[in-house]
Amino acid sequence: MQSAYIGKLMELAEKDRNVFHVLADSGTGYDEMFRRNFPEQIYNFGISEENMVAAAAGMATVGKVPFVFTAGAFLAYRSLEFIRDDICFQNLNVKVAGMGSGLAWSSLGPTHHTTEDVAVLRSIPNLMILSPATPKQTAECVEAAYVHQGPVYIRIGMNHEKEFYEENYRITVGKNEVLRDGGEITVFVTGSILEEADRAAEMLLEEGIRVNLVNVHTIKPFDGENAVRMAQKSRMMFSVEEHNISGGLGSLIAETLADNGIGVKLHRIGLKDVFAVGYGTHKGVRAANGLDAASIYSCIKEKLANEGI
Amino acid sequence: MDKILKEEKELKELRKKIFLTGYKGGMAHLASCYSSLEILYAFYIKKALRYDCSNPKWADRDRLILSKGHAGLALYAVMAKAGLLTEEEYDSYLQPGSRIGGEPCLRDSEWVEATTGSLGHGLSMAVGMAMALKADRSPAKVYAVLGDGECEEGTVWEAAMSAAAFQLDNLVAVLDCNRIQKMDFVEKTMGMANWNEKWASFGWDVAEVDGHDVQALENRFRMPNESGMPCLIIAHTVKGKGVSIMEDNPNWHFKLPGKKELKVFREELGISDAELA
Repeated sequence: MQSAYIGKLMELAEKDRNVFHVLADSGTGYDEMFRRNFPEQIYNFGISEENMVAAAAGMATVGKVPFVFTAGAFLAYRSLEFIRDDICFQNLNVKVAGMGSGLAWSSLGPTHHTTEDVAVLRSIPNLMILSPATPKQTAECVEAAYVHQGPVYIRIGMNHEKEFYEENYRITVGKNEVLRDGGEITVFVTGSILEEADRAAEMLLEEGIRVNLVNVHTIKPFDGENAVRMAQKSRMMFSVEEHNISGGLGSLIAETLADNGIGVKLHRIGLKDVFAVGYGTHKGVRAANGLDAASIYSCIKEKLANEGI
Repeated sequence: MDKILKEEKELKELRKKIFLTGYKGGMAHLASCYSSLEILYAFYIKKALRYDCSNPKWADRDRLILSKGHAGLALYAVMAKAGLLTEEEYDSYLQPGSRIGGEPCLRDSEWVEATTGSLGHGLSMAVGMAMALKADRSPAKVYAVLGDGECEEGTVWEAAMSAAAFQLDNLVAVLDCNRIQKMDFVEKTMGMANWNEKWASFGWDVAEVDGHDVQALENRFRMPNESGMPCLIIAHTVKGKGVSIMEDNPNWHFKLPGKKELKVFREELGISDAELA
């Protein structure tokens, strides 16, 4: 996702010299290439995320379009007040890209995990929140963030995530994507954990359980209409997120269902208000926290059995 | 001499106006406003700040960020005097349907360059503005007015470090050094300040000036930058300047006078019964 991010950013930087690549000493791996091509459009603020975020707001007042980039945890938590006051309250055209979403920084532990960012940032007015699942979708989100006039948070993973989209894929911001349909069970998913949710759906299908799979790339503004439509044809719903189940995608769907008086049961799969356990590969840490395909599959099966579905 | 008398009269009028507005609004950081007043006067009334009254969004205007946003009422009073805010807008302070509040806010006036209130944000935003203006080859300068208590915020030093690293010679920070923070003296709270040495050690060009001497402030603000580095101007001020009981007294950070104290305010600022009504 990071190479997709920087690739698209270079495209934008070439078109528009007001596009700035702004860093806090944690780059994409391709930043020297960016510097060679656009030496006046890249700034590394060193290890000072709050300063970087506020400075980006200052840049935006002069007409620049800064894309600030660092680990999501250091943006959503450490720089929260600066995102809120300087970018969102002033409603400035700054794009905040938090990488290593969810448990992607698996071996570094919860200080580096971004598992509450959606909950925290979703409550801030004026902020659009994009949560791509694949490299191709990341590039599309970067383009969409550039087109949108105003603050955007893009929640991106690492690199080499499985691609689900065709080369000519185009995103429609604010519209959920139904990737699997025709079932009576609906699974909503956001971010790169789509890969695990999709495999779980495949495993269920092999046993004759057809689930609808909906990818939510736009957390805010959320496509409530789609959620309602899916709920109306579902006997049970699930949300899958590499995030605390409090305040994230699952909460968002629960709010939507309650707002619309829809009583279909929802089970939220994610971190159950805990910090993740374990170290090692991303895959391994997902498994240790019940967020790999096998765990998602088992969880859905068990809940369906409990409900007699 | 006439000029100085005129300025003194205008500054006293502004202090009176700030007091009356704050008092009627029911809340104001009067002492901080009085500490920053000459600094803001030199910028907006003496026009050490380059701006075009008819075009708030002139691309090459100088920017001023009041990082110590709690002196916002002083900024608004000076802006109103400069004709950037109507008297009606100014007088609406904290009244029902008010247009302005206790801290400068981007959405409240097109002349406010940055929303402040939470300390330790303004200098970083100023850094970003200075960088963007440099990228545009603009001659504009960026000024950030900070409090000395505010320098206890860590981000001030992140911003200071980056401004020097990026050699922002178009950035000037003005330290309203009144030696008092909300609860006590800065020195008693966080030890010796030594601002000159601290900022110089971060690579800044540091100057010191009497923060209530309008001419000295104006001269210093207009001075071209020859160091190639960002500049810190330490403006030595008195918190609560202009009302004896408030001057240099930590009790007055966020307080309006009671009955007895009001008498002193009225005498020293020359406030009539009618004006207070």
